[in-house]
Order: sequence, then structure tokens, then C-alpha cells
Amino acid sequence: MLNWFYIPLQGILNGLLTGALYALIGMGMALIFGVMRIVNFAHGAFLMMGMYATYVVFQATGVSPYYQFPLAGVLLFFVGYATYMGLLRPIRGQVDFMVILLTMGLALILTDAAQLVFGADYHQINIPLLSKNIHIGPQISINAPWLVSFGIAMVLACALYWVVTQTMFGRAARAIAQNPYAAPLMGINVNRVQAIAFGIGSAAAGISGALLLPVFYLFPEVGNQFKLKSFVMVVLGGMGSIQGAAIAGLVLGVVESLTSLYWGNEWALAVDFVLFILVLSLKPSGIFGSQRA
Amino acid sequence: MKRSFFLFLLFSLAISVVLFWAGCSKGPESNTFKIGVITSLTGSNAAFGQAHKNGYTIALQEINARGGLLGKKVELDYYDDQSRPDQAVQGVSKLVDQDHVPIVLGAYSSESTRAIVPVVTQKQVPLIIPTAVADNVMESNSPWIFRICAGSGSFAAATLDFLKNNGDPRKLAIVYENTNFGQANNKSMTAAAAAAGLDLVDTEAYQASSPDYKSLLQRVKGKNPEAIYFASYLLDASTLMRQSEQLNLNPKYYTSAGTGFAAAEFPTADKGAGKYAEYTFSVSQWLPSAKWKGSAEFDQKYFALAGSHPAYHAMEAYAVLIAAAAAIDIAKSDQPAAIRDAIKQLNLAETPFGPVKFDARGQNLHPVLVTQVQDGQYKVVWPLDAAESKPIVPAPEWSKRK
Repeated sequence: MLNWFYIPLQGILNGLLTGALYALIGMGMALIFGVMRIVNFAHGAFLMMGMYATYVVFQATGVSPYYQFPLAGVLLFFVGYATYMGLLRPIRGQVDFMVILLTMGLALILTDAAQLVFGADYHQINIPLLSKNIHIGPQISINAPWLVSFGIAMVLACALYWVVTQTMFGRAARAIAQNPYAAPLMGINVNRVQAIAFGIGSAAAGISGALLLPVFYLFPEVGNQFKLKSFVMVVLGGMGSIQGAAIAGLVLGVVESLTSLYWGNEWALAVDFVLFILVLSLKPSGIFGSQRA
Repeated sequence: MKRSFFLFLLFSLAISVVLFWAGCSKGPESNTFKIGVITSLTGSNAAFGQAHKNGYTIALQEINARGGLLGKKVELDYYDDQSRPDQAVQGVSKLVDQDHVPIVLGAYSSESTRAIVPVVTQKQVPLIIPTAVADNVMESNSPWIFRICAGSGSFAAATLDFLKNNGDPRKLAIVYENTNFGQANNKSMTAAAAAAGLDLVDTEAYQASSPDYKSLLQRVKGKNPEAIYFASYLLDASTLMRQSEQLNLNPKYYTSAGTGFAAAEFPTADKGAGKYAEYTFSVSQWLPSAKWKGSAEFDQKYFALAGSHPAYHAMEAYAVLIAAAAAIDIAKSDQPAAIRDAIKQLNLAETPFGPVKFDARGQNLHPVLVTQVQDGQYKVVWPLDAAESKPIVPAPEWSKRK
């Protein structure tokens, strides 16, 4: 009965649920890229740190990740802030390649450190919410934790958007993005704004990790696949556009889900990167972005 | 001036370190006997690599307690392939060229094992394979390759034999990880199902370690199979079963090619699928309750070492080291060719893994069992002469489970 309607609908819903988490990860990456023109290869490692932090707090206190995710955000904000101040600021102005190598190296160190401390073994957590499913009609079902993650991710995405478009900090960040040479002449403390932007971007990765933990599992290299996806989102969304990356995240989730539904799961990842290459070569300003000078 | 002197110092230091190393590895009078082991101690298959290591450790203790091999203490030379085939290949080079081991055991996954088969053949060192079930690891007909576990063809045959005698479902779907292990099991099951006249309604390959398989499972649900055959490692096995419940996917039989669905962690809530593992069938090669002599002792030793009960992957690691030691004892030599010839003649009537004897192709003919998760425990349900309890079929629908 009405299968032609319900099956794709369920596919789209699944895609949106996953896509909201992608969106949050991608927005963090886009903020950093937009303000600093830095491709942060440690973004996946920051997500992994957020997951481990949440895991440790959960094991110690038993508080559900859905209540304690701000902790991961705060922790990763400071990690990001310190990374900028301690590592990235000294090499600002050098070739971009140095930044890529540096963040890549940082990602390796963080991943291996996690392996040293927690072992290569994977971990998962069990909360009662996991076994709750919400049924809408006879055909549609939604797993409660995914829905909660979706809600939190969407609220945070809106908050991030508000911060970037409406606050003094956001205006300063956008000014730097538009013209990093004119911005300090206008009285903007570039270092401070960039450090905060890097912190916020990292915090978004950390919170995404916290929200991902209940529905996924955790091992030191978990961040890699999300790092690759966040590159795709930044490009699709238009090189540093935050709202673009958010929409790209949702689109990516739905595209993966529908590809998986109609072509098979083994094609889902391929389609991601086909999109990536097509957009880069045909419309480098991104599907949702306008070309910036 | 100062700088060049410093560089010179550094250079001479490097040279002396290299010379020292070379001296060590070529030293003839070492009083340990080194056996090379490749497994996945890190990466996504680390849980299985750890099980391997525990199995090897127990065998090693037994061998050294008996006085070692050729009058020397045995030492295992581990190489961690990080769950990656390219690293496994590097491992063979390191173990054989640098450490000069006369025999290699491993790897864990079919993917890694397939990658090292040509390399050990070329280097002329015997390899005994503990856990790789993909039948193509034996296809090269290399005289240096031996496998102790049963392969994907036997897995498919045992599963279909069980199904035929327990309700005989006609509509089958296969869901497999898109790696050598999954592809081999898909191929074997596709062929076996066609021979048995089953209706293969759906075949799904998937990319490992994704957070979301709901769309894939929804496709399967749309085809309405009576039985599903999974070929998955542990992480995905857990995700697949959890999400099957979320989508209310209700085949009568959840069957599987062991591995993730047969891991000791799979029925546990903190490391596996927990209650979602219930009623799933899996092929198995060994259980702590197996009738072979020494099984219970192995279980006890494993529990004392690891604090949990072993699955068959640990036992297979144990068995390959026991077999290797027996062969070296027969060969009375530390030369790869002599050890290879001894493995060929090996005929162990009693090991905790059952009889071990390799056929002309290097394959140990090991029987395959079918187990079902009942109340969080693996119970043997097939074949009848080994069964501990009756299979529960069909699996209750998700909405009717408590």
C-alpha cells in the first residue's frame, strides 16, 4: 500500500537524520575555512576527541550524552583555541601547505594518542533511549536517539548561524573572510577573532562527536570518514559559507540515503566524491555559494 | 663548523645503530626460536586481533612449558597489520627478510591474508592461516599455504543444510561487506543457493563502518526474504541488527557467515548488539562446549587470561601455533622447506580444535557447526549429533519481543 510513497519518504527521513550531524560537522569546518582559509585536517580528530570525552564522562557518571554534550563542546573550544594560538598562529603567512601538513600531523598525533590511552579497541555505550522507536503510521519508523541528535544539531546549527550573522564577533569574522588585510585596519583583532573562530569550529566537531556516540561506536580512527565528508560539504556549500555547508550536510545525508536505497550501499560513498569532483570542476563556487573574491 | 661537526656525529651514530641492528638479526647463536605472527592488533578488526593474541599466548605458554622447540625457548614475533592488507604485506617482509622467521602464522582477515599469500610463496616460507574464510586464499595452489579453518563454501553448505532441515525457507537475501571476506561468502552462498534451488531475492554489498545501514535494510525489507545471510565483521554486525529492529525488518531466519555474528562480544550489550543479537544463527568452527578434548581447559585458560570466554577465532590462533610447533618438532629443523614438508605430513588426531590434517591443497577438513544466540549465549543447534539445544524458528517479530 502506497509503497512508492512511504519507502522514499523513509529514505529521505533517514537521510535528514544523518544529514543533520553532517551539517554540524561541515559548519565547523566551513567556519574555520571561511575565516582563515585553513583546511583543517584535524577536524576528524577533534570529532573523535569529542566522542572520547563524552564516553569518559558517560562511564564515570552515567549521564546521557544528550545532557552532557556541552562539555565536549567547551573542551574542544579550548583545544581549538589553544591549537590556533600555539601552533597555527606562528606559521600564519607562510605557504598554505605548511598549515595542511601541520593539521595533518596534529591529527596523527591525536589519533595515536587516543590509541595509546584508550587502546585500538572500539567502544559503544548503551542508553535506554536507544531501543525507543517512534512509529508514524504503519510504514514510517524513526529511532528516538537519531531524532534527538537531529533536534540538537539543528538548534545548534541555527545558533551558529545567528552568531556568525548577527553578533559583533560574527561581523568581525566575516570581515576577515572578505579581506584579511583591510580587517585589522578597521580595528579588528584578527588573531583573537581567528582563534575564537577556530575554537567554535572545533567545538562544533566535538559536539557532533558527542551526539554521534550513542548511535555509532568509537575507535581512534573514527574521525577519518567524517573528515572526508566535511571536505565534500565545504566544497558543495561554497567554500566557507556556513549556511551553505549546513544545507550541503543535509543534502549529502539524503543523497547517500537515497543512493543506498535505490542503487545499493556500496555506491553511497562513491556518489559523495563524484559530487565533490563535479562541483569542484564545473562550479567551484559551490552549489549553494556565490563566488567570493 | 660546529654545525657540520654535529651532523657528522649524528651520521656516525646512525651508521653504528644500523650496523648494530644488522649484527643482531644475523646473529646465529640466538637461543630463542622465533615464529612470525601477523594479525590485526589495531584498526577496525582489533577485537579479533586481540582474540588471536590471547589464543597464541596460551599456546605459547603450553609449548614453552614443555621445553620449547629444538631446545630453544619459543618467541612470537608479532606484526600488527592495522587491519590493512598493505600493512600485512609489509609485515611479511619485516618478519622474513629482517627477522628471518622460518614460518608465518596469520593474518586475521581474508583481505589481509589474500594479500600475503603471493608474498610468502615468493619468499618460500610456510604460512598457516588461522581465520581467513574466503576460499580464494587457497586458490593459488601454492605449496607454502595451509589453512586450518573451514572456508566460505563450507559455511554456505552448512547454513543451507540447516535451513533445509528446519522449515526450508525458499526466499533468501544476502547482505555482505564489500571486502574479500564478504565477497567470497556472497559468491559461495550464491552458488550454493542456486544449486539448492532457492530463490535469491536480493544481494546487497555494503561499505564497512558506516553509521547508517537503514536504507540498505529497507531495500532488503522491500524484497521480503524469508531468510537473510549476513557476512559482516563485528562492528557492522551490531549496527545491522540494531537497525533491523528500528526498521522492523522481520525475516524468519537471520543467518550469517560467522565472524561478527560469532564473536564473543556480539551478544553482549556493552560491546555488541546485546538483545538485538537474540535468535540470530551463525556458522561456527568451535565453541567452549565443543566435544574435542582440551576445549574446556582452553576455555578456562582463556578466561583466566582475558576475563571473557573465547570464540572460535581465538581457538584457531591457538590451533595454528600448536600445529606449527608439532611440525617443527617433526622437522627437527629451523629451515622453512623442512618445516613445510613436516606440515604436509602432519596428522594430529587430538587437538582442542579437533583433528588437524591438511589435504593435498593445504586445507584442513574442519567440520562446521551452526549456532543460535539464545538468552545471550551461543548454543549449537546443528548438526543434530553436536546440538546442545533446539533452534528457535521462526525468529519472533521485533514488536513481539520483550
